[in-house]
Amino acid sequence: MSKVVGIDLGTTNSLVAYVTDAVPFVIRDRSGDAMVPSIVSASSDGTIFVGREAQRRLITDSTRTVYSAKRFMGKGIDDVHEEARLLPFQVAGEPGGVVRIGLGEREFTPPEISAFVLRELKRRAEEYFAAQGDIDPTVDRAVITVPAYFNDAQRTATRDAGRIAGLDVLRIINEPTAASLAYGLDKKNHGVIAVYDFGGGTFDISILRVEDGVFQVLSTNGDTHLGGDDIDMLVVEAILRDLASASPRHRLPADFAADGTPERIQQIRKAVIQAKWDLSDRDETELLGVTLSRATFESMIRPVIERTLEPCRQALADAGLQPGQVDEVVLVGGSTRIPLVRRLVGDLFGRKPHTELNPDEVVALGAAVQADILVTGNREMLLLDVTPLSLGIETMGGVVSKIILRNSTIPATGSEMFTTGVDNQTAVDIHVLQGERELVQDNRSLARFRLRGIPPMPAGMPRVQVQFQIDANGILSVTASELRTNVEASIEVKPSYGLTDDQVEQMLIDSFEHAEADFAARMLIEARNEAESVITATEKTMRAPEFPTIVAEELAEGELKRIEQALAGLKHVIKSEDREAIQQWTTVLNEATQHLAEVTMNRSVRAALAGKSVDGL
Amino acid sequence: MTSSHTHHLQVCRTCGGGAPVDVHFCPSCTKILTLGRQGDYFSFLSLPRKLNLDPALIEQKFRALSRQFHPDYYYNATPTERRASLERSSYLNDAYRTLRQPASRVAYLLEVEGVLKPSDHEAAKKVPASLLEEVFALNEELDDVREMRASGAPEDAWRARLATAAGPIEAKRAEHEAQLQELSTRWDALQDGDDAGRQAVLNALRERVLERNYINNLLATIEREATGTGGPQL
Repeated sequence: MSKVVGIDLGTTNSLVAYVTDAVPFVIRDRSGDAMVPSIVSASSDGTIFVGREAQRRLITDSTRTVYSAKRFMGKGIDDVHEEARLLPFQVAGEPGGVVRIGLGEREFTPPEISAFVLRELKRRAEEYFAAQGDIDPTVDRAVITVPAYFNDAQRTATRDAGRIAGLDVLRIINEPTAASLAYGLDKKNHGVIAVYDFGGGTFDISILRVEDGVFQVLSTNGDTHLGGDDIDMLVVEAILRDLASASPRHRLPADFAADGTPERIQQIRKAVIQAKWDLSDRDETELLGVTLSRATFESMIRPVIERTLEPCRQALADAGLQPGQVDEVVLVGGSTRIPLVRRLVGDLFGRKPHTELNPDEVVALGAAVQADILVTGNREMLLLDVTPLSLGIETMGGVVSKIILRNSTIPATGSEMFTTGVDNQTAVDIHVLQGERELVQDNRSLARFRLRGIPPMPAGMPRVQVQFQIDANGILSVTASELRTNVEASIEVKPSYGLTDDQVEQMLIDSFEHAEADFAARMLIEARNEAESVITATEKTMRAPEFPTIVAEELAEGELKRIEQALAGLKHVIKSEDREAIQQWTTVLNEATQHLAEVTMNRSVRAALAGKSVDGL
Repeated sequence: MTSSHTHHLQVCRTCGGGAPVDVHFCPSCTKILTLGRQGDYFSFLSLPRKLNLDPALIEQKFRALSRQFHPDYYYNATPTERRASLERSSYLNDAYRTLRQPASRVAYLLEVEGVLKPSDHEAAKKVPASLLEEVFALNEELDDVREMRASGAPEDAWRARLATAAGPIEAKRAEHEAQLQELSTRWDALQDGDDAGRQAVLNALRERVLERNYINNLLATIEREATGTGGPQL
């Protein structure tokens, strides 16, 4: 049976996890790396690179390498002008439409960029299942996490990304809630938990009550534009200012790119991130020729971290709780490794936060637990989440009338009555918004609906009931009917900053035609290269003069035969286009020659040592 | 079977069988029922139609029903069951949200008892006669505060003035809360069949609820003035 995985689609890194025998684990690549950097790069011949390889290209090919695409999900160009300034890649789009990101010669929407990352995770998981000998290693369904404070447009964009990557997104769940599931696994106790999730680009706080295995979110708050990126940018900007001054303190190494180029900014950013990491364990470090103490760094970044505290207080107030009533505080996200973050959060809640689980992995683990609940129908645990923002509609005078209040448990419904203003009017326009402010202009426009098919009647007579449904994913759908005639009114949805279903469908097709093709081609080349190097190494060993001696003295009965068969098998499939077969036979040959390689290595080490001692005499 | 019973009958969309109102699963085929005719939020949660309810009991009923309805448990079910799960979960969440807060609980009770319409809350924008004096005084105070701020008076000074202005309104609210509590206790003690008694208590509750809404609006206006976001003139 095909697999359902849990995916943490992060601003900086993404992970995929799975549950086996009720235990969630993160799927790693062959080198043991759990994280796929959420970075996509295009070479001049159009080949797409994702993850670590794309990350390396940040320095060598900045303008063709896209990172932090999550920050643009569900956004319009007007929202992102300011931050696009410091980014090396192109960010464009029509006013009032979705953002478009330049990747090499092509343009993509943020969901398409995210889909590249998702496809890489899907591939990684499928490779893992295949290596486990699973009959059906296909991954076609997933639970994907989003920041709790993501609005409808951002959630929908995430679901679209999944669809473009060929994944059926069973469920969108909130990152802090996912983390609480991962933490709650081994502790069946009850109490109030605060999950503080400070990641690469977003900040969330969720307050939950756990009782009888039900994880009920009481309130949530956050900032979808506040994360480790902001800390990095703050320091990068300080260095750029210093370098532009009359007597700069910082010195850039000679191999840095020329002034004013995107590559140079990336090189500085890389140094800043390294220094930030260093200061989580050490009291001081060196940053581009200047000694940076933890105290100085903390005083620089303190304003950014203090911006997370007000949402925490608001969430507590919305839950009707005092800080002292919180039983446990859980830290999630890479930015919670910063000692100042731990200190300020500890001070606010008056208790030491939990850090037992890896803050980078805990969200993906929780997503895998949720995927397992959906597939197996396991009723031990249940997540009850809330909608982070109030949902409303525009009324007379540009004022918002709220229909579903924030922190309502989802799924939730709300309804509103409409009527007509002129005789025989058959359509009504409705503007749906999300946010807490009173005026339309201060809230997020989600969509404009046109209600059609209202039976002709005198003005004010029709009673059109519009029903708003927020599902368990926090995504809105709308239905309407005229109550006097019981006629179902049809609705045209124009998402303000999203894609239509047709667009998503087309992108899915395009992604198969373009991206999937060159992606597959590259994967095949990589698989062949690896197979080639294993064949070469094996043949070299077998040609060595001492090989017959090794076979006679060290190898077990039939071992040589197994090696020869594996070698012949791999040499046969390497000419084919079948990447999976090549990878499988590569693994077979690797395993068959593992003992031989050890033996050969030991012999050469012994020979080298013997030679040395002779020389020494 | 009486006509009122047939009126409340639910139909199972899975097997076509019938089920009494406020039953969540089909008695014949055991599948979850789509939301057809139902009673009200109280009966849905099998709670008495009372105003003093034990919060722990509401929470416990809510969790138990969530475990039975939640869409997460119906991923492999038929489309009909999935729809039923979504409908029943949504209704449960709406019921829970309404009944857990005493303020929304009493407003809802008045609605299902037919003495308060949602549109009546809009009517609460008109000044109730019993509050005319206080509202008049407050408006004058607020004008003064705005003048003080416009002429650059120190923050301490105008804040103190604002606090003084809020005093009588807060006293009114405390008085209303006490009256509401007393009426709630009377409502809970009423016996079935005492129609005249019920109507009297409901009418009294209605007056208090509408007045309290108005008082809360006044306090919100004062709050807006204090946080500097301003607000519409009363």
